[in-house]
Amino acid sequence: MNFLFNEEQTSLGETVGQVLADFAALTAPDPSRDSEAEVWGALAELGLFSLLVPEEHDGVGLAFVDLAPSIEALGSGLASPLIASTLVATEAIKRLGSSDQRAKLLPEIAIGETAIAIASAELGRGKDPFFAECRLLDGKLSGKKIAVAGADVAQELLVIARTESAPVLVLVPTDAAGVTITAHSDIDPSAGLCRVVFDNVAVAAGQQLARASIDALDTLVDLGATVHSGMAMGIAEVMLRRSVAFASQREQFGKPIGSFQAIKHRCADLAVAVEAGKATSHYAFWACSENSEDRSGAASAAKAYCGEIGCNACNDAIQVHGGMGFTWELGLHRYLRRAQVIEHAVGSRAWHYDRVVTEALAAREVENAAHRDAA
Amino acid sequence: MDFNYTDEERKFRFELRDWLASALPAGWGDTVFEPEDEEERYLFRRDWDKKLSSGGWSGINWPVEYGGRGATLVERGIFAEEMARAKAPESLNIIGHNLAGTTILHHGTQAQKDRFLPPIIANDEIWCQGFSEPNAGSDLASVRTKAVRHGDKYIVNGQKIWTSYAQYSQWCFALVRTDVDAPKHKGLSFLLIDMKSPGILIRPLRQISGESEFNETFFEDVEVPVENLVGEENDGWRIAMTTLAYERGPEDCLGRQVRFKQEMEKLLEVCSAEPTANGVLSDDPIVRQKLGRSIVEIEAMRLVALKSFSRIHAGDERGPDASVIKLYWSHAAQRMNEAALDILGPTAVLAEGDEDAKASGRFQTSYLQSKAFSIYSGSSEIQRNIIGERMLGLPR
Ligand SMILES: Cc1cc2nc3c(=O)[nH]c(=O)nc-3n(C[C@H](O)[C@H](O)[C@H](O)COP(=O)(O)OP(=O)(O)OC[C@H]3O[C@@H](n4cnc5c(N)ncnc54)[C@H](O)[C@@H]3O)c2cc1C
Repeated sequence: MNFLFNEEQTSLGETVGQVLADFAALTAPDPSRDSEAEVWGALAELGLFSLLVPEEHDGVGLAFVDLAPSIEALGSGLASPLIASTLVATEAIKRLGSSDQRAKLLPEIAIGETAIAIASAELGRGKDPFFAECRLLDGKLSGKKIAVAGADVAQELLVIARTESAPVLVLVPTDAAGVTITAHSDIDPSAGLCRVVFDNVAVAAGQQLARASIDALDTLVDLGATVHSGMAMGIAEVMLRRSVAFASQREQFGKPIGSFQAIKHRCADLAVAVEAGKATSHYAFWACSENSEDRSGAASAAKAYCGEIGCNACNDAIQVHGGMGFTWELGLHRYLRRAQVIEHAVGSRAWHYDRVVTEALAAREVENAAHRDAA
Repeated sequence: MDFNYTDEERKFRFELRDWLASALPAGWGDTVFEPEDEEERYLFRRDWDKKLSSGGWSGINWPVEYGGRGATLVERGIFAEEMARAKAPESLNIIGHNLAGTTILHHGTQAQKDRFLPPIIANDEIWCQGFSEPNAGSDLASVRTKAVRHGDKYIVNGQKIWTSYAQYSQWCFALVRTDVDAPKHKGLSFLLIDMKSPGILIRPLRQISGESEFNETFFEDVEVPVENLVGEENDGWRIAMTTLAYERGPEDCLGRQVRFKQEMEKLLEVCSAEPTANGVLSDDPIVRQKLGRSIVEIEAMRLVALKSFSRIHAGDERGPDASVIKLYWSHAAQRMNEAALDILGPTAVLAEGDEDAKASGRFQTSYLQSKAFSIYSGSSEIQRNIIGERMLGLPR
């Protein structure tokens, strides 16, 4: 047992961070998507999209957990959420796809040709990422999704829908007839959130992710939740670093404000939250990688907790920076905005805390049954 | 990163699990519990400690030459998990194991190691910690209890306070002033004091919870042989820092997490049985939010400690990350205890001894006890100073 990342995992994350740092626009005060295509190209060239693809499909064949530091770097660097959703979809296709789907999609993904947006959220469905009104009936998909990150530039959509009786995961090309994608007016214009309407879109049997079932949805939600926990921790880390740097240098009353305990202690609490959040997130990556028994509990724990920590870290950083923190020009608002997008993707905090309880009660049942059997 | 265990480690786990099943009384945790009376509980825990050591389950990661098991930190982690799983009783000698023993291992002479370590592992000698004084709490370096050397003895005079378990202890490690003229951090020494020495007076102090675990300890012309000095004279502050690093470290956190996890399990049990107008408590969405967050935090406590184990294993020094761990667990546990009472509704105010109290009133006792978490082992404010200044590099 070892809870530290190895050299390769760490340096991969650092490299992703360095590539992103070359694009100043990503974290600039004005939210824009101007560099999105270029960033995508640079990461594809680095091979990021081939990492999770198995070797038999021209990829590197790394495990999900190997990418944890890289995902944090995507969060810190405010990279387009489409990058993360493509990685989540890659892992989902790898686990759930038929051999045809894998053979067709994975090599395209590996070279960065196919970006996949994940369409889950709907209006009027509360916080449950599982529940879909989008219907797949007689091979036709109809319905409306909101807050689909990067749908307007992606090649494929991975859609949570349902048939008469069961949930399904379907892959729909963004240019299919009957798909209408429009940009939202949203809190984080750099995230590329879109409204996607399906109007009798023809879906062939081969577009359904094989083995789609409640288990398949669990898999998708767990992977997505975990990746979002990682991005939230990336944001929290930057907020901590910037708060400490500012507090060390800004002077009031003839002293650096970091010498005042109210500020110092806020930074210390943030450092503790970062440590606890990362431990939770890292464990979720591992649990997903290994498909461990507590995978869903670990993923929901990470999503709920890290989402909360990410948002709070932005609040703290803004407070520590005073009036500067509230300015457009300093750009802290970019992290605050993104933290909200992350918080509400793949099910909100409340839904995930609730699922943690469901999983804990179920585990208790199992434990109790074993106890009874033993007695 | 890999949470999988080796065959060796799995073997360790199952051996321990089997041993615990045979060593604990039948029905333990279901129908059989610790005695409620303080004195009886003391005797019960002392017996349990003895049982652990005679079974070879004491001093898990201590060197074999002193009677330890020589296990790895990973196995130390497994030990904590299995103790939690079995709802094993708490040890009386946590201070001996986590503080006295580790400090002597680091800084003691060979003779001190040979003399003091085996009885700690055998749980024959219980230890207490004589650091705090009425005027030296957070500002520990200002202790005034004086030790003056006369030939081959120190003569100790002064008063310690908040000395937990002094009434049960055979030994006390104390921070004393040996040079009154030196700057306050430079005139301290670390002494091992036999609690049977003439001139020691212990006066119990009653705590918030009604129990009396901690005491005032008075020293009047107490003689301590010079061979009981750990490290050099006037180098006591450095030695005490080692003690504090362990007091706040991952071993301590894991040991506590075991208790908190049991508490959480108990809370889940109550919530899934307690009827409400439309179901049971654990169906209530607001209750579930509170439970969910506490479950996550109790688990994070374990993960934070394991991460620290991995860092230490990889060769990192024990440093301010001990403060991160301490600060985290104290508040996370307090939040769980707050949540428990909040969730229990009207029965939240019914305590031990009341026939309508839930889980025999343990949540109420724990709630009261939890108030100490953010005070002892260095208050939260002090931990935040340490993290801010030594880890984050913020100015003083
Ligand atoms: C249950 C329990 C068991 C204990 N067991 C032991 C034991 O076995 N052995 C032992 O030696 N001690 C023990 N202690 C003592 C404990 O270590 C001290 O209580 C603790 O260090 C705080 O010291 P104090 O009580 O003098 O409070 P003070 O130091 O007077 O602190 C009072 C308040 O002021 C704050 N404060 C103090 N200095 C600063 C600062 N620089 N910046 C910001 N805030 C500050 C503190 O955080 C606290 O909130 C125990 C305490 C408790 C509650």
